[in-house]
Amino acid sequence: MTKFQRFLLKRLAISVLLTLIAVSVIFVVLRLLPGSPFETLVTSGNLNQEQIDEIRAMYGLDQSIWGQYVNYLWSLLSFQFGYSILRSQPVWEVLEPRLINSLILLVPALVTTAILSSLLGMYAGWNRGSRLEKFSIVSTTLLRSTPVFITAIFFIIVFAYNLEIVPSLGMRSIRATPDGYLETFLSLDFLHHYLLPFTVAVLYYSGDFLLLARNGVIEKRGSEFLKLHRAKGLSEMQQLARAGRNSMLPILTYFTLRLGMIFQGLILLEVVFSWPGIGRELVLAIQQQDYPLVQAAVFIMALAVILANLAADVLYAYFDPTVSTNGGGSA
Amino acid sequence: MSTETKPKAELYKRVDALWTLVRDQFAFLRRDPLAYAGMLVVAAFVFLGLFGPFLAPHDPIEHTVRGDTGSVLRLSAPSVDAYFGTTAYGKDVLSQFLAGARPTLIVGLFGGLGTGALGFTVGVVSGYYGGWVDELLMRLTDLTFSLPFMPMALLLLTFMTPNIWLITAIIAGFLWKMPARVVRSEVLSVRERTFVKSARASGASDLRTMLYHVAPNVLPIGFLYTAYGVAWAIAAQASLAFLGFGDPTMTSWGRMLRQVFASGNMRVAWWWVLPPAIGIAAITTSVFLIGRAYEEVINPEIQTNQ
Repeated sequence: MTKFQRFLLKRLAISVLLTLIAVSVIFVVLRLLPGSPFETLVTSGNLNQEQIDEIRAMYGLDQSIWGQYVNYLWSLLSFQFGYSILRSQPVWEVLEPRLINSLILLVPALVTTAILSSLLGMYAGWNRGSRLEKFSIVSTTLLRSTPVFITAIFFIIVFAYNLEIVPSLGMRSIRATPDGYLETFLSLDFLHHYLLPFTVAVLYYSGDFLLLARNGVIEKRGSEFLKLHRAKGLSEMQQLARAGRNSMLPILTYFTLRLGMIFQGLILLEVVFSWPGIGRELVLAIQQQDYPLVQAAVFIMALAVILANLAADVLYAYFDPTVSTNGGGSA
Repeated sequence: MSTETKPKAELYKRVDALWTLVRDQFAFLRRDPLAYAGMLVVAAFVFLGLFGPFLAPHDPIEHTVRGDTGSVLRLSAPSVDAYFGTTAYGKDVLSQFLAGARPTLIVGLFGGLGTGALGFTVGVVSGYYGGWVDELLMRLTDLTFSLPFMPMALLLLTFMTPNIWLITAIIAGFLWKMPARVVRSEVLSVRERTFVKSARASGASDLRTMLYHVAPNVLPIGFLYTAYGVAWAIAAQASLAFLGFGDPTMTSWGRMLRQVFASGNMRVAWWWVLPPAIGIAAITTSVFLIGRAYEEVINPEIQTNQ
């Protein structure tokens, strides 16, 4: 077994353990919640004891807490999240379309911002002290430090309310009744609704990539290999391209980390824009105490973070073996 | 006698050095116009947090603004009756804005300090001892990394009645991982330096070495992340309040935004939206601008060739 394989194995084991702890925490927290949605269901539904028992059995509440825990773990493993209490639909049926709605907003936004703002950051870092550098740093600092819902509110006020270029909420107009994902996402109406949340997401994430790329290039500027390239007579742009390529690793790792944290960061964005994604669904489910839905949504978010962390660490260790194998990951 | 005064004198010298460092930092920040502007905003914000509730002309929740005819002014644009206009419930926006600075300050300050202190301690201990202590503490940070902050905070706040200290604790409990990792990696390099090794060789205890030799050298980065912690805490608190998970007994800027959003008056009542929104954006951005200027000083890698 090589050193890298051993590292990989260890990191995998840790991830599995972390997932187990994370889902246990969710389980405990949910069981500690006072009052259950079943109570309202039972008291308001005029149910007789037999029906109550049936409902409790259906959700596994007639078993011991350990039995419930084992069932819960098993259900998560098999992605069978049970029944949503309020929507009387299997949880996965509720979550799947919302997960896709979230991803369709966030992944393109993150990819766009990673590419554009890294390039801009590299250019800014190369031209250190220029007006462009100062301006880009101030504007991205403003955008990344301001909570995303505030940026979103400003954009809604300007572009939706005052200029009336784009709608302020929703994913499709109310009258649209698309059939299937393709029809949902391939239309001008969708694009129209997409523009604003997409832009806000791009701008919100731009800061970290820009600063990371800028710092990377600045660090590389004084290094020996660039002196060699300069001596070889490469143009400024060619030198920048090489300095940029050499600062790609932190950006790549950061991108993976961000990808994992994507859902939670955009809970707020989805709420402001009434975007029917998984984040907004989670907030609604918490308000309505729809536990099966809540635990599935939180589980998906936690899993995304754990997988992304794993991927980031492995990427780092793979591409940069000089890095100590337990210090990887940035920010 | 001399054995007793010596550490004391040493301590004074250290405090003095620290003070000079702080003064130098301020002098430095004044040279950077952005950081200077940020400092002014932070100062104004601290002032608002301390005295805002006393400056508020009316009670932010109890008082209802009435016009000349005695009718309640709902959603009225800024006027002499209410300089910042009124909310949909006839409350004075200016008073809410002034009173709303306090919870933001409390959570920002204590959440930030808690984040910094906890992260700094974990980072120093973990980096200094290494071995299983390091392994254990780093797996703990991994765990807080794996539990997504927003969903977990929402969950916790549904079964505990939100109050400002609980929110502060939750924020610090999730955010300490950032300074912990950065401080640890700094400690790893400091630990290998000659003066630390000689201190240990000359018989200094672990605690003493950590306190006098390692900690001061990673203090700047600890401060920096404490400052960032303040901004993160403010942003997190505002976000939670906006989602409806804030302290229900206190007017905060995030809560004001929630009310204008939930009441559906965002389209018309710009005077109700702008004060809290600008307040939050200004303070978080200012802290980050100061941090950036500061980072240039303490990060030797970014400094090269300049």
